[in-house]
Amino acid sequence: MTNPFDAVPDLDEPWGAKRKFEHMPLGRAVDMGSADDGTPLIDPRIFDSSEFRRNPYPYYRIMRDHYPVFHDRLHNCYYVTRYTDIEAAYFDEIGFNTIPKGSSSGVLGNTQLELSGLEHRRRRNIYGRHLVGAALTKRLPALRSMAEDLIDQWSLPDNPKGVEVDGDTMVVELGRAFANEFPIGVVAQVLGIPGDARQQFNWWYDAMMAGLGGSDTHHDGLLARQDLENYVATLVEERRTAPTYLYDEDGNEICKDIISELCHAEIDGDVMSTEEITSFVALVVGGGGETTRGAILNLWYLLLQHPDQYQAVLDDPSLWKAAFHEMLRHSTSIGGQPRHNTFDIELHGVSIPAGSLVHMVDVSANHDDRVFDEPERFDIFRDDLYSDKILRSGHDQDGRRSHMAFGVGPHLCPGAWISEQETVIGARVLSERFANVELAVDRMPTDIDEMSLAPIGLGSIRQLWLRVEMTRQS
Amino acid sequence: MIGAGTYDPGTGAEDEPLAAGGYRTYEVFQRERVGESAPDLTPRQLIGDEMLTDPYPTLAKMREHSPCYRDWIGNRFWVTRYDDVTSVFADDANYRSRSARGWAGVPQYGRDLGSELPVLWARSNRIDAHLERIVERMIAELRDRPDLATAFAARLPLELWGAMLDLAGDDLAAFSGRLWRMRRSTGWDERSRIDGHRARAELEVSMGVLLEARRHDPGDDLISALATLELVGEPVTAADVVATIFESDDDTLHGGVANLWFQLLTNREQLAVVERAPRLAKQAWHEALRHSPPVHTAARFARHEVERFGRLIPDGALVACSAAAANRDPRVFADPDRFLVERPDLCQREPRGQYRADGLASGIAFGLGRPSVHPALPKERPRSSYAIVRDIAVTATRMLLDAHPGIRLADGASPKLRSLRLGEMYTCWELPVDLG
Repeated sequence: MTNPFDAVPDLDEPWGAKRKFEHMPLGRAVDMGSADDGTPLIDPRIFDSSEFRRNPYPYYRIMRDHYPVFHDRLHNCYYVTRYTDIEAAYFDEIGFNTIPKGSSSGVLGNTQLELSGLEHRRRRNIYGRHLVGAALTKRLPALRSMAEDLIDQWSLPDNPKGVEVDGDTMVVELGRAFANEFPIGVVAQVLGIPGDARQQFNWWYDAMMAGLGGSDTHHDGLLARQDLENYVATLVEERRTAPTYLYDEDGNEICKDIISELCHAEIDGDVMSTEEITSFVALVVGGGGETTRGAILNLWYLLLQHPDQYQAVLDDPSLWKAAFHEMLRHSTSIGGQPRHNTFDIELHGVSIPAGSLVHMVDVSANHDDRVFDEPERFDIFRDDLYSDKILRSGHDQDGRRSHMAFGVGPHLCPGAWISEQETVIGARVLSERFANVELAVDRMPTDIDEMSLAPIGLGSIRQLWLRVEMTRQS
Repeated sequence: MIGAGTYDPGTGAEDEPLAAGGYRTYEVFQRERVGESAPDLTPRQLIGDEMLTDPYPTLAKMREHSPCYRDWIGNRFWVTRYDDVTSVFADDANYRSRSARGWAGVPQYGRDLGSELPVLWARSNRIDAHLERIVERMIAELRDRPDLATAFAARLPLELWGAMLDLAGDDLAAFSGRLWRMRRSTGWDERSRIDGHRARAELEVSMGVLLEARRHDPGDDLISALATLELVGEPVTAADVVATIFESDDDTLHGGVANLWFQLLTNREQLAVVERAPRLAKQAWHEALRHSPPVHTAARFARHEVERFGRLIPDGALVACSAAAANRDPRVFADPDRFLVERPDLCQREPRGQYRADGLASGIAFGLGRPSVHPALPKERPRSSYAIVRDIAVTATRMLLDAHPGIRLADGASPKLRSLRLGEMYTCWELPVDLG
């Protein structure tokens, strides 16, 4: 008898579950084989590869075109990649619940991300009012002066921001000099963290961010969270009796800071537990820090690579908002949100058993050419992107859609408004202080060819080196 | 308070349990523990190449430190202690099995009718009638430095299919190739999956021809038994035949025999024990399945959110029950890493739905136990699938020992156990021997 194993075509090139994928030119996917009818196949190991983090969009395009629901058997999950499917799922609170206890929950705790329905809405109303509307508008001058203060530190004699001065020009790493601290400062202020704890606060933030997702530093993240929790517990005890307030520039009370507010908020007659408040703080720290930092860096990176668009923004500062939204569409730093389907469903011919982990890939929705024309092009003037006042519905009356970076529906990012203001005000302040600015290309991380600039890929650019001339201060 | 400069993750501080701070509800406490981390263990190790060649150190770490380990990358919970694994198998109220095969359970891909009594009868009768002849022929064809893994262990179940289905020569070779392609297609690899589906379709066509022929002219083979089966509802289709064949315990037979011989040949003193008392071949089979089960992991899915192992396991979560880890659990088996034919703490009975049939623990080898669905009575029932496979393996082993009493590992051979791909059978793929 012949050996039956000979009948098996060689499928074994790499034996393990890990595979090294070659790096491709941007916009082109590695050939992972194809089915009989020519449909390209997806090798699920690609999702763990550095090639994918650097160059995700061609793979998402394959998925959108050929596998609108992709069943990843290696990672035991499903990916939903088209804009309209994700939009529908985000509005379907019953069919797609938010109790996946995704990778963040260990570090961040039992957060708003994991609540649904009425419970979610009640809490959202408590947190949310600090981050929108009048409470936000009154605090804009404070944001502005915080940005001014940071930039003023660039020229201090002991050089706390690592700025290199050479005659009239300065070489600045915008992350270290500005973007790392600005959002965290805003968050700490809104929460009501005293100024003397800000340094400590930055460390908690770094450790918790590094510890997300079951990474090797996950345990540090848990320790940091425990430490933060102990600290917040003391704050909470104080503020349960003596609430503290936020003030506008004239010294008038605007409202209680969020921690004080939460200490006195009642949900169904119950005050919130310290644990709940800490989890919320952890979530705000995570949501309000890393994302906005990435937004600031990505925005400048993209604008400086498109000088004509940067010039247009300088000429008409009201365009900053459009630039901000187009940047989030083009390169958002949050890849997507996990959901669990509540029932057995069939979507695009794929049956998904109840309780499966379904990834809603926001990044892919933002590059869906069914919605956005030429999605890989960065164009702040594009007319198919809604970039006016942020709407929960995700589209305006003419049917123009917003990007998916903040999500849509009941779980729309509550920090969307404040992050828009932060980024736009920060960028305006910076642009006013810059007499001239260009990328310090020689310092920037490069792509695999060691020539061209590194792509943003998934997440945000790691470092942003600028060569600037500052305007003379009067 | 831990400060930015003072915290040193290398000091062992990470081994300290995290203190519970402040008030928290029970549920919240549970949820927080979801993110519990394990020292010396990252989820990347679970898809690393070491899991293919020697997963036992990693599994031991999980078993000792994280009995229910949340694997972020593979999106599953690993259960590794013996009592935990068997409890998840037994707990049908909270967990269910979805077919790991990728198509059974989907109506269009047929029903597994292997537990229907006429089918089981046909299978065991045919095997009883042909087993000795087949093994004799296989032994006679072993020549100069033969490879037991391919020429004996892998060939045995395929030759038996030939006997059960009345296939021979090229037909059997074609059948075997298709079956093997299907076996390899149950994992995550898209290309093997497509290839397996193609093989399944081919097999369905060829089985359809046989099914029609034997419906009109039935014999006493397995396909005739299926063709004449009286079922409520739809008649038996070719897809049912394929599913029934595919869901039998072939891989355990193939891998189990290979692993048994691997252990005997690499542990000479244990081989000597079996040579002295051939009746111990059955115990050796049980011990080989305990020590090196070919199927390492069985998947169970939570039917709803369930609190277990000190944490909340979400609705629909995959619970990977590691037979490999459970079988080496030192809480249950003394000196578990040793292959010991006369092991006093291993149950020698069939685990009929429970794993401590006479107070001793059985090795876990057949994915979900797959004990007979039929009650132990009446007497004239056929043997269960478990017993059929056991008897084949024991008979073949004893006959090989009788024929070649001086059998030993070929000079210079250093055989290894390994999986070809993650999630596939863990067995010996090359076992050259010297027949003495």
